[in-house]
Amino acid sequence: MSTKGTSTFIIQRFTAVLLAPIAIWFLFGIVSALTSDYATARAWIANPWNGALLGAFLIIGAWHMRIGMMEIILDYIHSWLKDVLFLINWLVALGIIVASAWAIFHISFAG
Amino acid sequence: MADSLSSKRPLSPHLQIWRFTVTMAASITHRGTGVVLYGGVFLIVLWLIGAAFYPPLFETASGIVRSPVGFILIAGFVWSLLFHLMNGLRHLYWDTGRGLAPKTATMTAWLVYSAATILAALILWAGYGGGA
Ligand code: HEM
Repeated sequence: MSTKGTSTFIIQRFTAVLLAPIAIWFLFGIVSALTSDYATARAWIANPWNGALLGAFLIIGAWHMRIGMMEIILDYIHSWLKDVLFLINWLVALGIIVASAWAIFHISFAG
Repeated sequence: MADSLSSKRPLSPHLQIWRFTVTMAASITHRGTGVVLYGGVFLIVLWLIGAAFYPPLFETASGIVRSPVGFILIAGFVWSLLFHLMNGLRHLYWDTGRGLAPKTATMTAWLVYSAATILAALILWAGYGGGA
């Protein structure tokens, strides 16, 4: 499956278990949030429950999707390009974690 | 040559014996929806950054999301998340060593496809204010 074998396998399952209930919540709210105007969208994110759950979904999701994409890269890419894609994949996950934490924090507390 | 060992070796899965199975489709769809969600999460974070720091970025993202193209993107994302979520639970169930019998796996694959489609329709209807 992957280079590190069992530890990534276990983390992939662990993040999936954590994501499942949060994804159900997410599905309930995200369509109306995404289609609402600036003020309404910010008010939705500023709600403490929404902010915490949205942050949890995006941060745990970033970890889960990094591992998932790594598996996909390992299956199809066998050249030097693999390492470049690994790096980009890492940076995307890191970017999602930092950006979503920072943005939600800013909307919630800095007005 | 005819009696050499190598000529008697079986071929790997072959076009003539290949047939469609829904379990196979579900496995491919799980990977496909994983990639769709990867892109979707990325775009949602751009929307979020716009909401927090750059109103013009928010307006651009929001404009796309509220256009007909946006409806298709959101519908695809919602269906993908529903499919991936339920098929992921199917994976986790398999990891406990259960639900692997071909009959059961075929049934649950159909179930996941149908449920994802019905629930996506309901969520989109409600999310676009259909109930209000
Ligand atoms: C943030 C949303 C999500 C993203 C971006 C995402 C992405 C991915 C990706 C890219 C893969 C790799 C697919 C492959 O190797 O074929 C994967 C695998 C997996 N995902 Fe997700 N996923 C998300 C949410 C979920 C949720 C909510 C569950 C709930 C059960 C889940 C369960 C799984 C499982 C069990 C696997 C492993 C499947 C296997 O071993 O083939 N995922 N995911």
